[in-house]
Amino acid sequence: MRHASFIARTVFVQNNDVEAACRVLNRILGKEDILDQYRRTRYFERPFEFRRRINFERCKAIYNEDMNRKINFVLRKNRNDPFPGCL
Amino acid sequence: MIRSVGNLLRTLACHNDYMLLNSVRSIGTSVSLFRDVVDRKEMLKALPAIDEGTAGEKSAAVDTLSHGQNIFPTCDSENRLFGGIPFKNLPIINIRVSHNNTIFSFTDAKGVPSLIRSCGIEGFKNTRKGTNIAAQTTAITFGKKTLERGVKTVRVRVRGLGPGRLASIKGLQMAGVDIVSITDSTRVSWTPLRPRKQRKL
Repeated sequence: MRHASFIARTVFVQNNDVEAACRVLNRILGKEDILDQYRRTRYFERPFEFRRRINFERCKAIYNEDMNRKINFVLRKNRNDPFPGCL
Repeated sequence: MIRSVGNLLRTLACHNDYMLLNSVRSIGTSVSLFRDVVDRKEMLKALPAIDEGTAGEKSAAVDTLSHGQNIFPTCDSENRLFGGIPFKNLPIINIRVSHNNTIFSFTDAKGVPSLIRSCGIEGFKNTRKGTNIAAQTTAITFGKKTLERGVKTVRVRVRGLGPGRLASIKGLQMAGVDIVSITDSTRVSWTPLRPRKQRKL
């Protein structure tokens, strides 16, 4: 990854609060999958491990998609029938 | 179950002189059943996680800090003044963190190094080099050395993951160095060369 230094992956420290700045930086790096990719490439990932990981991630994404839909549905307000399927 | 088998043997022994003479011996079971660690994988899972200096990586909490302005650099932030010096001309402290050591180097804005110090130089040897305490003490002495050179405001660039990642930045602050920004320059590739084979645990 080559980007302009001190512009990419940079956080300014505010009020001398170094820890908070670190936390922000780490959270972003974690969310963008940069840290995970770094850890993954320390050792060779054998093909079967790669397949297993990709399949697992796929399944997880499908599960999360439906689960989010369900949560949003349950949390929805102003429903005509507040408890559908219940008598 | 074992006890019930033992009772059974005992009742049998009452009827049998031979067994009575030999008395009832407790049934031996293999040691492996009483071992605490059943599975190595589970044992490794139960161990405390290794500190990689990535606090806040998994947290979903919204930081109040991120709502503040000027937290991330923009195109014209290179001319922003810090202590009378524009951001692009501030000296840099590079911190190279690994699992086994932490290395500090001080460079000017162009990247010419002038001071280097590591946990090994500081006096920590072997595995102690790779601890957060070693990183923090080294950072404090390193920060004091930079202050002796008359440099107070710096930008920090961190590379790698390890116990010293957070501790070294904290140590620099404790030494009295004014840290303007923190940059991560961990080398990550999505098309890497083939890495070494996995460790056998």
